[in-house]
Amino acid sequence: MLSWEYPPRIIGGLARHVEGLSKSLAAIGNEVHVVTLDFPGTQLEERTGSLFIHRVKVEVPAPTFHSWVLLFNHFFEKRVGQLANEFGAPDILHIHDWLTVSAGVASKHLLRVPLVMTFHSTESSRSSSSSSPESAMVQGLEWWGSYEAASVIAVSGWMGSEVVAQFKLPPGKVQEIPNGVDVEKFSKPVNVEATRSKWKVLPGERLITAVGRLTSQKGFDDLIRAYPEIRQSIPSSRLLVMGDGYMRSELESLAETERVRGTTTFAGFVSDADLIDAIKSSDVVAVPSRFEPFGIIALEAMAGGAPVVVSRVGGLAEIVEDGVDGLEVDPNSPSSLAKAAVRLLSDQELASRLTARAKEKVKAYNWQASALKTLDVYQSAIKVTRFE
Amino acid sequence: MSELPKRILSLLMVGGAQSPEKAVTIEELGTKLSAPPEAVSTELNELIVGGYVQLIMGEGQARAYLTGTGIITASSTYS
Repeated sequence: MLSWEYPPRIIGGLARHVEGLSKSLAAIGNEVHVVTLDFPGTQLEERTGSLFIHRVKVEVPAPTFHSWVLLFNHFFEKRVGQLANEFGAPDILHIHDWLTVSAGVASKHLLRVPLVMTFHSTESSRSSSSSSPESAMVQGLEWWGSYEAASVIAVSGWMGSEVVAQFKLPPGKVQEIPNGVDVEKFSKPVNVEATRSKWKVLPGERLITAVGRLTSQKGFDDLIRAYPEIRQSIPSSRLLVMGDGYMRSELESLAETERVRGTTTFAGFVSDADLIDAIKSSDVVAVPSRFEPFGIIALEAMAGGAPVVVSRVGGLAEIVEDGVDGLEVDPNSPSSLAKAAVRLLSDQELASRLTARAKEKVKAYNWQASALKTLDVYQSAIKVTRFE
Repeated sequence: MSELPKRILSLLMVGGAQSPEKAVTIEELGTKLSAPPEAVSTELNELIVGGYVQLIMGEGQARAYLTGTGIITASSTYS
């Protein structure tokens, strides 16, 4: 499996997906090798049972992000070659998004091994400047990967439809396999008082939490714009934003402008343990994304028993059923977001009903189920792949 | 974050300045970014306060490299 991110290098949901999938594939008897980028403080080589993590250092500098991606793919290719010499050629190669397409395609032809590609997102839906030369290159790599792959996996029905339409793939080539969540991690007890205190939540305050990269896609600016309206109905509340990114200083300034900086905590990147504790201590988890192919944080909130309010976009709209196991709101609408959050904060019966249903629903999203479906995709990829 | 600090983070990442041994000087950054060293220095201080970059002294000069938070932030547009 080739992935540019693997914990603790967690840029987005892709890292959690590769971790959950690779661990589950290994747990059911497969030998799994993940080739990924290095990260400060980690071992280059790790092994847990039949799961091997190989972290690659990129030893040559590049002038731009996109040339750096192509460069680290060469280092991935080299590592795949070394691993094939050491362990034998794999039965399958699995790449994730455009970032590892060139290494995946080259390795497929060198080793004569079937290729599977998972789409977690696409450039055209992610990028606001999809006509730039760099964006065209990314879209080209996405098409190339989808063409060379024997089977394509999409993390949601929405993502699958996007991929079929954009790359003109036969629908039968694309399988939907959703992300999972480790429900066990969320079943451990949490010291709610200590957790709230850590994030400056005063006794009696209601806690609204949002988690993710601080980028425009995530819509945290809409949440901060909604927060004054929430405070009009629920004056005793705190907003906790977990994550970091290019928009952090902009969001901090916006909180000042909206006069909610004093009741908003920007936590930066946090550990898994802190994330789980915060979710389990929250009165609402908001996912105000403008675009979201899946939205793993919604699953995590549901597993943690927090009521969720999510934008009605992409995969989020597939995970949450409005009024049944969470609330959906219009994207780009602070007012809609505020009204839904106030409903959940002021109607305990509603919040309890939704979280009870959500906890049941989320059991279906587990990594073992995703791994078994992925194994089926691998089997069919092996059957249909022919080399001249 | 304005453009210059974003470019600094990106350049440190793609340039491989992700550990003390690979740290680069402010002058080198300024040259590669075509930006005055004073402007680079000012932005670097902000990035250090934010936890994205660390400075070390080496060969009589301050040298900068990315922290884990800096690596993730520099990559955050693309996942």
